[in-house]
Amino acid sequence: MMADGVLEAPYLNLDDPAFSIRSKAVRDAREHGWYARTPYGLAILRYSEVGELMRDQRLRQGSHKWPAHNKAAGMFADWWVRMLLNRIGDDHARLRRLANPAFSPKLIATLQPKFIGIANELIDAFGSAGHCEFMSAFSEPYATRVICALFNLPHDEWRELATNAAGMGLALGVTYKADEATVNNATGRLFDYSRALIAQRRRTPGDDFISLLVQANSDKDALSDEEMDDMVVLAVFGGIDTTRNQIGLAMGQFIEHPGQWRLLAQQPDLARAAVEEVMRTRPTTTWVTREALQDFTYNGLDIKQGTTLHLFAESAGTDPSVFKSGFDISEPRKQHYGFGGGTHHCLGHFIARGDMTEALKLLARRVVNPAYDGEPVWLPDSGNTGPVKMNIKFDPEL
Amino acid sequence: MKICVDLEKCKLHGQCIIAAPDLFVFEADGSLHWIEQPEETQRQAALDAADVCPEQAIVIEG
Repeated sequence: MMADGVLEAPYLNLDDPAFSIRSKAVRDAREHGWYARTPYGLAILRYSEVGELMRDQRLRQGSHKWPAHNKAAGMFADWWVRMLLNRIGDDHARLRRLANPAFSPKLIATLQPKFIGIANELIDAFGSAGHCEFMSAFSEPYATRVICALFNLPHDEWRELATNAAGMGLALGVTYKADEATVNNATGRLFDYSRALIAQRRRTPGDDFISLLVQANSDKDALSDEEMDDMVVLAVFGGIDTTRNQIGLAMGQFIEHPGQWRLLAQQPDLARAAVEEVMRTRPTTTWVTREALQDFTYNGLDIKQGTTLHLFAESAGTDPSVFKSGFDISEPRKQHYGFGGGTHHCLGHFIARGDMTEALKLLARRVVNPAYDGEPVWLPDSGNTGPVKMNIKFDPEL
Repeated sequence: MKICVDLEKCKLHGQCIIAAPDLFVFEADGSLHWIEQPEETQRQAALDAADVCPEQAIVIEG
């Protein structure tokens, strides 16, 4: 399948639930060279190569192979291959242009007071106790209610949305097969929710994203019924699960680097940089994939058509040839690849950056001296990752 | 109206090409090419491209 030289590259077993993107094996492989072998194609390990291959026109987004690689079947797998991430060319551009206005930086800036309001309300509920289970007390309701604010959904529906998003999120982890029924049930429920929402917006249009899709759908060539349903499911799922996990990962990083948390509390203007530093060193999306559209040679390596490349965001983000070691929110850093890049660059990154900035700013001020209260429970480190449960203790607010 | 692209910030994601395909294009060598002074009728497309750039590298002057 590939050139002879590739057989000498280190092998990383991404299918092993114990595999970690932060393991010595990955560090050693990155030291050895810019790529490693995996059960499905190659892992790309260094900053420069990840950046170049991320937007190389000879590759396409590779996630459409996910159901085949995982022998996945059912509603999630069917939706997965149809939705925006796995569209290419003119079809992808048409759908992306439709979605872009709902996620524009100008629109997100107007939501900032709502982000602050939601965050403060959530911290009010546990601040004086001096302890909480951080994911259910903050990360999950915050990420979900931000999506409610963005799409003008009733906030009291957040728990159902969060549960379904988390259920679907299990698909992107290494234990997928064991969770397949949960994943498909959650997908079914989110489709039911989305269709009811679309019907409601058809009756009573607003100026939100769902109403905009309904309006576009009046021309079925611009947006078909199926594409509209798929887009609503993507917007809700994509916005909730990744942000939930990323905020949990942020709290973990700062608990392990208490000096940085104090620095952020003293200098809240560093919150935006803090988001970037967390995503550089501890991204929830541990890799994105690409697939070769043709045979080509890159950096002396022959890559055959159909080869899958896993672009390792964390490995690139901590590449010692580019980044000074350590976790430091005051250190100027190059751009990380936690939001992917190229044609399929994360659609929701302005909102994710905006809402996490406000969350970290307020948490650093109000959750003082946080520490783990027992060992957190983590999703496997292979595939999309984050805390399942994270009990924390801190100085109670007076 | 003038389209300015900060090539230090630009990471060649190509989102501007998706948003405004009549104004932005990748050359065969992979570099970004754009119409610097488009017609006034293209203003919305130019603004969309600036808005959508993940690195916010595009500025519309005038």
